[in-house]
Amino acid sequence: MNASVPLWEFDNISKAYPGVLANDRVSIKLLAGSIHGLLGENGCGKSTMIKTLSGVQQPDSGRILKDGQQVQIADPQAARDMGIATVFQEFSIVPTLSVGENIFLGNMPRSSFGVVDWKKVHAEAAAVLAEMEVDISTEAITGRLSVGEQQLVEIAKAVAMRASMIILDEPTAALGEEEIERLHQLLRTMRGKGTGILYVSHRLDEVERIVDEVTILRNGRVVSASGETKINVHEIVTAMVGEDIGEHYPKEKNAQEEIVFEARGISTKAGVNDASFALKRGEVLGLGGVLGSGRTEIARALFGTDELTSGEVVLNGQPVAFKREIDAIRAGLALVPENRKFDGLFFNFRASGNITAASLGKLAKLGVLDLKAEERATQELIEDLEISAQAEEKTVNFLSGGNQQKIVIARWLFSNAEVLILDEPTQGIDIGAKIAVYKLINQLTRKGKSIILISSDHDELLAMSDRIAVVQQGSIRRVVDAAELTHDDLVRASAETEETLEKEEALA
Amino acid sequence: MKRIFDAQLIGPFAALVIVALIVALTTERFLNPGNLSNLSLQVSIVALIAIGSTIVIFAAGIDLSSGSMVALLTMIFALMLKSIGIPLVIAVPLILIAGAFLGLVIGVITAYGRIPSFITTLAALIAFRGLALTFNNGSPIFSLDPALEPIFYGRLAGIPLPFFYLVFFYGLAAFMMNFTKLGREIYAVGGNPAAAVLTGINVKKVQTITFVIAGFMTAVGAILMSARLNSGSPNYGQTLELQAIAAAVVGGASLAGGRGNILATLMGAMTIVIVQNGLNLNAAPSSVQNIVLGLIILMAVGIDMWRAELSALMSRVFGRTDGARSSAAKKAA
Repeated sequence: MNASVPLWEFDNISKAYPGVLANDRVSIKLLAGSIHGLLGENGCGKSTMIKTLSGVQQPDSGRILKDGQQVQIADPQAARDMGIATVFQEFSIVPTLSVGENIFLGNMPRSSFGVVDWKKVHAEAAAVLAEMEVDISTEAITGRLSVGEQQLVEIAKAVAMRASMIILDEPTAALGEEEIERLHQLLRTMRGKGTGILYVSHRLDEVERIVDEVTILRNGRVVSASGETKINVHEIVTAMVGEDIGEHYPKEKNAQEEIVFEARGISTKAGVNDASFALKRGEVLGLGGVLGSGRTEIARALFGTDELTSGEVVLNGQPVAFKREIDAIRAGLALVPENRKFDGLFFNFRASGNITAASLGKLAKLGVLDLKAEERATQELIEDLEISAQAEEKTVNFLSGGNQQKIVIARWLFSNAEVLILDEPTQGIDIGAKIAVYKLINQLTRKGKSIILISSDHDELLAMSDRIAVVQQGSIRRVVDAAELTHDDLVRASAETEETLEKEEALA
Repeated sequence: MKRIFDAQLIGPFAALVIVALIVALTTERFLNPGNLSNLSLQVSIVALIAIGSTIVIFAAGIDLSSGSMVALLTMIFALMLKSIGIPLVIAVPLILIAGAFLGLVIGVITAYGRIPSFITTLAALIAFRGLALTFNNGSPIFSLDPALEPIFYGRLAGIPLPFFYLVFFYGLAAFMMNFTKLGREIYAVGGNPAAAVLTGINVKKVQTITFVIAGFMTAVGAILMSARLNSGSPNYGQTLELQAIAAAVVGGASLAGGRGNILATLMGAMTIVIVQNGLNLNAAPSSVQNIVLGLIILMAVGIDMWRAELSALMSRVFGRTDGARSSAAKKAA
């Protein structure tokens, strides 16, 4: 292939929505056999660009060239026919179908009678998976696979259609470290075969590891075309935000000696197995471990969602038994769930309804709500946490991910919780909003509140925690000072026991 | 007050005014005092039952049982008054309790038995009608009590009583939905049940309560139905549940739950009844009335779903340019 002609060229693409110019003359050149990072904060126009490139919408102006020839991507089917495969953030697999069926969905090999040729479906699907060096049965029901494996099935679909360009939108948002590594390995293999990959991500640490060049968008415009910015977290962040943001992780140490919350050998049916730890006042205790290690399950056990089968939870020196979430909330616990869209927010409410939802009892006299007090408290929190001023004018679905996350946290400030469990609090929000969440963590610990932090972003976990509890197989292997651990230590610590366990099993 | 009378009322109110105007202009007898008072009777039963149906919908459920429950309760009411000889002052509260109890049963099966409300209330729709037929060999019971009609359909200060029922119950429902903890919890459960659990809201209890309210309001409707016709019948209330749901939907309540204004349901009910009344006065057969009711439901939901597209179309038709868009277009050019 002629190196001077890009595989795909998007030239001066503009797209306006009512009231906003979402893409303003954006140009991207995607070379064959390269991984091209498309970066920018929320609302910078990445999603608009992806929709245009995958044929979901038409640009208002600009040219699209494939191998130097101008083309039009009329609709998603046309995009597929031209070899563009898009893996959206929300997967498009059908969970009830088998892996083989999903890989060839809409494009099933048929026999001469027009009937699906099942043998061929599974044989070809198996060939694709083998080519990707992925070990998943084509007969497996896709919905039963882990999120990481489902992601690989998504990519297998792209491989099966022999795509020349694959667009990955936040491909690692739901993946653990090991799965990310596996995905990256696969992407490198595909790059070696000449595929062009457009990689959209918020996780800058991994961008540094995988991409060959970057295009950075801000306010719908290209602020740094490929080759202009070194692929280095600090430079990328500066280009994305538009200013030097200084400290990426503004950690304050506020831990005191007093122990406020303790788990003593707790177990649940969901897989928590004899887990113990102690949390100090003002401390951030990070739970580190791979996806599926049992971090979220520990959170559920502490919050009264899952019943304890053994062990006890101690709050301020008193043993407590939470039968349901409401018991935990009344005692002063809070859970910011991993998935704020599904488990956190009420999209039918404005900021106020979301903020007061967990403490309506506090606002009510004889069942009647004091709406004035609600308004005042909401206004205060909006100002305090620098939440968008629009938050109280419209329902929260109109807000950015960062503002939404702040609102979920504000809910627990209003409930005056003493111990907050933050499960992936910065997932899917942009750098500016992440730093705001970090500052909020500081603000909380300064007031003597204690935090259990769960995060798959190891850099974040190491930087923002005082101590780290390494979680494996639903129990806590050890608790160490965050300062004594490095990124590699944490990855290794998370992985090593599985090998150890295997060895133990082999010996037994 | 601005919480109750919010923007969600504008659409249903506009629809009501337009429909009323069209019917008034095309149908001579529509504005006759006799017709108007008849209209208020017709509205009251549907509108009162629709309070319950709407509150169930707010919590993301659906209640298909109300029509059959009306038939069942009118039969029990008739038996109490006529066969057993229970006095009216005791029979009325007993029927209200019976309605709430039937709602409780449906609610418990739905929420704690984890069966979708579509199924539980569909089962109730069929079973209640059957149960109603087991009384009195399936025949209606007539001439219950001559006092019934004047008590429930009399006038106070010259205004028909049903008007006061509507004001009272809609006032109460609006207060509950907008100013109480329970109202907020109902919207929360309908908006996002998973989040409601994690914020400590007792989702199952709240869901159950919505069905108790629906059962109670259905009992109110059943008493009015019996009083108006001075009888009980296993055939009363056919498709009433659908009219009540239609009133909620025309009023803009989202079937997905969590969104809507209870007062809009009253407007929805009035819109539907006025259309039916207009067709009646013009001697349209009932088949046509059903077709029109179907179209109204479709239109009401359609207008809601296509709001963005419609407003874009309107601005194009009337040549109103969007400031931001034109400046964006200039920039692009």
